[in-house]
Amino acid sequence: MTDMSVPAMTDRTKPLDRARALAAFKLGDSTFYWLTRASALIVLCLLGGIIISLIVGAWPAIKTFGLEFLVTRRWAPQLSPSPVLGALGPLYGTVVTSLIAMLIAVPVGIGIAIFLTEFCPPMLRRPVGVAIELLAGIPSIIYGMWGFFVLAPFMTEHFMPAVIATFAHVPVLNVIFAGPPSYLSLFNASLVLAIMILPFITAISRDVFQTVPPMLKESAYGLGCTTWEVVKNVVIPFTRAGVIGGIMLALGRALGETMAVTFIIGNSFQISGSIFSPGTTISAAIASEFAEASGVHMSALILLGLLLFVLTFFVLAAARLMLARLQQQQGK
Amino acid sequence: MTQQVTDLQINTDMSATPASGTQVREDKLIVRNLDFFYGETKALKNINLALATNTVTSFIGPSGCGKSTLLRILNRMYDLYPGQRAEGEVLLDGQNLLDPKLDLNLLRARVGMVFQKPTPFPMTIYENIAFGIKLYENLSKSELDGRVERALRGAALWNEVKDKLNASGLSLSGGQQQRLCIARTVAIQPEVILFDEPCSALDPISTAKVEELIDELKEKYTIAIVTHNMQQAARVSEFTAFMYLGELVEFGPTTRLFTAPEKRQTQDYITGRFG
Repeated sequence: MTDMSVPAMTDRTKPLDRARALAAFKLGDSTFYWLTRASALIVLCLLGGIIISLIVGAWPAIKTFGLEFLVTRRWAPQLSPSPVLGALGPLYGTVVTSLIAMLIAVPVGIGIAIFLTEFCPPMLRRPVGVAIELLAGIPSIIYGMWGFFVLAPFMTEHFMPAVIATFAHVPVLNVIFAGPPSYLSLFNASLVLAIMILPFITAISRDVFQTVPPMLKESAYGLGCTTWEVVKNVVIPFTRAGVIGGIMLALGRALGETMAVTFIIGNSFQISGSIFSPGTTISAAIASEFAEASGVHMSALILLGLLLFVLTFFVLAAARLMLARLQQQQGK
Repeated sequence: MTQQVTDLQINTDMSATPASGTQVREDKLIVRNLDFFYGETKALKNINLALATNTVTSFIGPSGCGKSTLLRILNRMYDLYPGQRAEGEVLLDGQNLLDPKLDLNLLRARVGMVFQKPTPFPMTIYENIAFGIKLYENLSKSELDGRVERALRGAALWNEVKDKLNASGLSLSGGQQQRLCIARTVAIQPEVILFDEPCSALDPISTAKVEELIDELKEKYTIAIVTHNMQQAARVSEFTAFMYLGELVEFGPTTRLFTAPEKRQTQDYITGRFG
């Protein structure tokens, strides 16, 4: 085959033909350039459009409540003559559920990733990895139902009473873990959230742990480090940026998760110190009230959406800032 | 213990050198009937040799001949990977390294390793050195400072980094990073240091510095170095082992091996006819 094609090739690459071929490519190139550019611009336009429409929709509520909205605990849309609406309840619920979910999911998720990359027998590595990825693919409504019908009853009947009894006489903790146990509670919602974001943290951490050069790990082992010392001093510092990125992605998801949380959180706008009592989050409040809302009530829900948007934005910005700091410290 | 392996080639070779005719060299590490397997593949076949105390022994041979594999047996680095196993004996001061019950962390403290590419840890220059020391010893801050300085001086790096000990190890140049890795290895006071092509990623000036360093280090340590560069082997080592296809073809004093090789294969390789 080579014998035939070599002379044919030299025949075909005459300068004139080459120029024509290049001209044809030129059109394709510029089309491609404009297509990619337009795609990028569309994203920017969408983002701007969403922000603008959120602000426009929220404007009546902003005018009515002003900054009071952020610190008002009461949520009374039916109150006449004028409803009183405040975001403090959903804000509190969003922050608390996400925080508890992160407290549970981050150590467990990173632990699984360390096990998978450093200790796991090769036979088991693939099945466990695939299982984790499948966990990420389960639709959130299923997590919600499972949380409501399986997890919540179990936790409420077995776990919560024990915790409440244990900390009954410990100051501070007896407020956080106060009874009565409830199916619909911040804690159960946090648990479901933790399970939902676990695969993100595990999958991303595992992927970045695998980017550590084997030689770097070997040189730590070569000094006589144990696996734990290698992970703590070499693997995690080396991959810190990636791990934090994964955690932030998971936090973003936890803050905005709607369906599963709406199922199990109780949709109560009351703020109680106990994590075993019902609550609500921004997205759960919007989802459960949107259908019946009108007027300033609807506008207030849109304003809640805007708040969530801003909250998520600040979380991501803080993550970026933190990464920049860390990189500066490492002198990269 | 010196002459206990009289059947080994090294001893006959050594008696032929003028230097060893007058003084008795001790063998730090003795490799006996060593086979090595990557899964089913036999990568090393019946290796026998000895590393004499406070000398530099270099391993040369074409890529894939097993020299790095041999080096990685001497600190049991292969143990990190499932499916790799060694058979035979490797004696460090008479103790068999291949003993499955051996404490690998302590072994690696006695047999340090420097790799093909510089591998500074993602921490400051100071911490890169102090890290290893802290694994084994509980020192006060001032003692630790002293040890770090001594290690960096020992690796001829102190003058270049003394004003930026808190900078990242990654901010150094490639040659400096490699000397940092050598300092890190020296800091925990091993007995044997293994160099796996330590200069393959370095420029000629950095290479010269590392070679000088190796020459100084042999006062205190027993050194094994794998290299693709035959001039380097000739410059830094007293003994040279030529390996080919998993076998030790020839082992002897460097000057003899390079001027009057006994085997055809060795001669072909060092004259550049293959490899």
